[in-house]
Amino acid sequence: MSGAPKTKGAQSSRMKTNKKDEESGGNVYAHLDKTSVLQECRAFNETPINIKKCTHSLTKLIYIIQQGEPIGRTEATEAFFGVTKLWQSKDVNLRRMIYLAVKELAEVSDDVIIVTSSLTKDMTGREDLYRAAAIRALCKITDTGMLQTIERYMKQAIVDRNSAISSSAIASSIHLMRKSSEVVRRWANEVQEAVSSDNHMVQYHSLALLYQIRANDRLAVNKLVQKFSKNALRSPYAVCYLIRIATRCLVDDDQPDSSVFTFIESCLRHKSEMVVYEAARAIVSLPQTTPSEIQPAITALQMCCTSPKAAVRFAAVRTLNKVAMAHPNAVMSCNVDLEKFITDSNRSIATLAITTLLKTGAESSVERLMQQISGFVNEISDEFKIVVVDAIRSLCSRYPRKHTVMMPFLAKMLRNDGSYDYKKAIVETIIAIIEENPDAKVAGLAHLCEFIEDCEHDNLSTRVLHLLGREAPKTPNPSSYIRFIYNRVILESTKVRAAAVTALAKFGAQCSDLRPSIQVLLKRCLLDSDDEVRDRATFYLKMLTEASESLIHNFILDGLQVSPSGLELKILDYLRSQTYSSPFDLRTVPVTQQALSQPEKRVPQLVEEEEKPKAPKVEPYAAQLAAIPQFAALGPVFKSSARIALTESIAEYTVHMIKHTFANAMVLQFECKNTMNDQLLLDVSVELEDPDGEWETKDTIIIEKLPYGEVHSAYSLLEFPDSGAIAGSLGAILKFKVMDVDPTSGEPDSDDTYDQTYVLEEVDVNVSDSVQSVAKTAFASAWEALGDDATREETFQLSTVENIPDAVKKVSEILGLVPCERSDRVPEGKTQHTVYLSGVFRGGYDVLSKATVAIDPSDNSIAMNIIIKSNEPLVSDLVISAVV
Amino acid sequence: MGFLSSLSNLFGMGKKDVNIVVVGLDNSGKTTILNQLKTPETRSQQIVPTVGHVVTNFSTQNLSFHAFDMAGQMKYRSTWESYFHSSQGVIFVLDSSDRVRMELLKDELWLVLDHKDVASRGIPVVILANKMDIPGAMTCADITAALGLNLHRSGTWSIHSTCALTGDGLDKAMQQLSSEIQKYLETRKS
Repeated sequence: MSGAPKTKGAQSSRMKTNKKDEESGGNVYAHLDKTSVLQECRAFNETPINIKKCTHSLTKLIYIIQQGEPIGRTEATEAFFGVTKLWQSKDVNLRRMIYLAVKELAEVSDDVIIVTSSLTKDMTGREDLYRAAAIRALCKITDTGMLQTIERYMKQAIVDRNSAISSSAIASSIHLMRKSSEVVRRWANEVQEAVSSDNHMVQYHSLALLYQIRANDRLAVNKLVQKFSKNALRSPYAVCYLIRIATRCLVDDDQPDSSVFTFIESCLRHKSEMVVYEAARAIVSLPQTTPSEIQPAITALQMCCTSPKAAVRFAAVRTLNKVAMAHPNAVMSCNVDLEKFITDSNRSIATLAITTLLKTGAESSVERLMQQISGFVNEISDEFKIVVVDAIRSLCSRYPRKHTVMMPFLAKMLRNDGSYDYKKAIVETIIAIIEENPDAKVAGLAHLCEFIEDCEHDNLSTRVLHLLGREAPKTPNPSSYIRFIYNRVILESTKVRAAAVTALAKFGAQCSDLRPSIQVLLKRCLLDSDDEVRDRATFYLKMLTEASESLIHNFILDGLQVSPSGLELKILDYLRSQTYSSPFDLRTVPVTQQALSQPEKRVPQLVEEEEKPKAPKVEPYAAQLAAIPQFAALGPVFKSSARIALTESIAEYTVHMIKHTFANAMVLQFECKNTMNDQLLLDVSVELEDPDGEWETKDTIIIEKLPYGEVHSAYSLLEFPDSGAIAGSLGAILKFKVMDVDPTSGEPDSDDTYDQTYVLEEVDVNVSDSVQSVAKTAFASAWEALGDDATREETFQLSTVENIPDAVKKVSEILGLVPCERSDRVPEGKTQHTVYLSGVFRGGYDVLSKATVAIDPSDNSIAMNIIIKSNEPLVSDLVISAVV
Repeated sequence: MGFLSSLSNLFGMGKKDVNIVVVGLDNSGKTTILNQLKTPETRSQQIVPTVGHVVTNFSTQNLSFHAFDMAGQMKYRSTWESYFHSSQGVIFVLDSSDRVRMELLKDELWLVLDHKDVASRGIPVVILANKMDIPGAMTCADITAALGLNLHRSGTWSIHSTCALTGDGLDKAMQQLSSEIQKYLETRKS
């Protein structure tokens, strides 16, 4: 070739410049231009091939693709066809570059399938250097249809003696599982054989693939774990993977096999550091572990802390940090080791160590640790800062007195730059501290006020404003906050302005001495450019100037406790009916426990129509019930219970019950499903029988026909007995006629039917069915308002629960009342706690309750004193009967 | 010519590398022919339908061939043309017993002969009428007539009847191809 010497010269000069670049430490490929690289790829079409040049061009091509340079389909296809021509060269390096290039181009180019045969040839050829890479490239370009033609070679490759080939075949199969799992599943035998390989990587990969093949079959996975936990795997990677599978088994299974846990525990004594760490991590991450189970794992992590490798130390500290939340006492034993890390040169380790110590350490060491961490808090990333914030949060709930140290620290962090998540974590922490600790309220609110003065995140601003509206009026000097809030009205975006107006109104509602000034401020808001802000201001202004105290209370402070979708539906119905003679009745709107997140927004539309949203409750079932004429006279549904199963889920006929409570009656809805494909059920009904003879079925609606696979509902109407009982348990029997049908067509075999009965579980009617839980925002004033006429008080011992939080949960469940003002949060370590509960009894009677739970530290027995108030003595009697 | 090549061999320049493209309808015997051309020890026992293409290397007395064995299925035929540009010869294999697809064959062959990278560069096209051992196979003359090759004046083409299983007729065809390619290389050099 005449051009040869020239090329050679050019090449050597290029090599020289390359060398220079390398010496100067720059990236040779840093400033590649896509067009010129693609231009260079034309060299692939030349004959004979210049191997060196082509290898270099390929490298550049792969580099720019890796850098995320977008390459058009035509360009990519052209380059790809060029690459296919390079197969004529036998140069090993070039061929291996080809495989890489094919893999990269597989996504962007057309017709990649045409290299299938070339790759198959390389994969089955003699050259071991080609085979592994060819398999990877082949699996990348192939599709499900083509996979079947190369299936045979894949099976061979999986059990190949060469570990690189076997590993790459198995790893590629794992990728193939995603698109052609059916084909890969057929290779299970080969994969199983590969698990017994001596090579660590092959064993690891094949175990992973085997697990994925069986992942859908829980029994098979269990067997897999059992099998491999007995005959020890040699590869530490495989053991780690097996531990992960085993952990998942333990978490998913309702009745986990104890041998699985024993296996994980035995891995704590494995000789590989990695396996020990993995096992320890698995054990501490398991839910419901006892301290004695967790102790060996903590000891193992402690050992890891002394490792010379930074990665191992980091892993151990990170895991300890996570565990510290759930099991602070267990981690306490590592405190000495963690102390050493405080000054570790690796900031990540130091941060995690300090935050772990904050979670577990004694109250006295807090100041010292905070000092330490504030020294370098600016040097660590946001993610770790959030870890620090979380640690402070948990610390504050444990040592409430320390807020004097924490608050200024948090405020300082808040002032620094940071991402939204970081700021959010801090704001949430401050809010949590304020809610938990009344002493910190004034300081915390002041910090938050300062924060919203210069806050770029609307979400956080509105959140803080909401909090200010709720908490600040109760502080000794509420007027000092108004300036901050009104500044928002002047300066911020629409969303924040609207929130600020609402906050102002709450001040006006709660502090009567400030009301005139608030009215002045709200009047100014009437001129706002946004209609939402104006609407809110108008509404609040009218409320504050004209409405009575109780109205203000209900509408500005409590908000509207209705479900938004239910409200929308009812209003739509009202508008459609076109009869505006009677006002819209809010009582027909279903209520929810949670007030609308921004309830004030919706109130203006309803203000003239109804005093206060009472508690009729309608569920999605309301429409179904309304369609049944027999129940029309009962009025609106007060409450619907959750679906309760009356049969095993695998029974021939499954029945679910929903209890709908009306003012004076109760409708039991039985959702029946026929799972027998050879039976047609006729005249299905549920017969109820009360052993005490108090409850009587007034009406039943049967299901005339219940074919296979369908769900229909039968109904029974019960009236509340005259004796006043509101609880009871009734025996239930499913009665029906069976007609045999042909399973395939569903046609009846004959007209013969026979009667059959099926005993269901007992139906329980509880007090909670008659009580709808509706929270009160201002419990104390509502409590005062009720008066003492219908107050009942009881004191008794609780034997079924072991701690205060459980007792609180249980009492609110039994009564069907909801805790107010976050009183369900029980501070740790307290021996006495009072929870405020509220709700509405059937018929619209408010029910409030104060339950004081006390634990006797000497014998852990729990006593409860409960006071129930309502506006109707009978109601109080009924409710209290639920607990006695 | 013979003297020159022997002289170049003497000077140790070795065999010249050339690229050829092997095309033809599916099941015409392309891969089998190339398998037959390889040395006995490198032959593969099993021939499966080619997906896309495979590069096969073999050599005659004075040339070393890189043959792009293209897949013949309908969906891959569009990929043939991207390899003409970088090759110095084309082998077109056809199944001489397949009378049914003669018309389709004609279309495909003419597409190859008239392709700009074949016709304008004047690279040799050797047509192999394969499977001549099957009873009732068409002869070269019949095929030439059926494909209307006489009407094609521009390119350099030749037709040979072969049997890929036994190798009959292949040697002659390859000699023809080698000499045509050498002629083509000579003209290009000058």
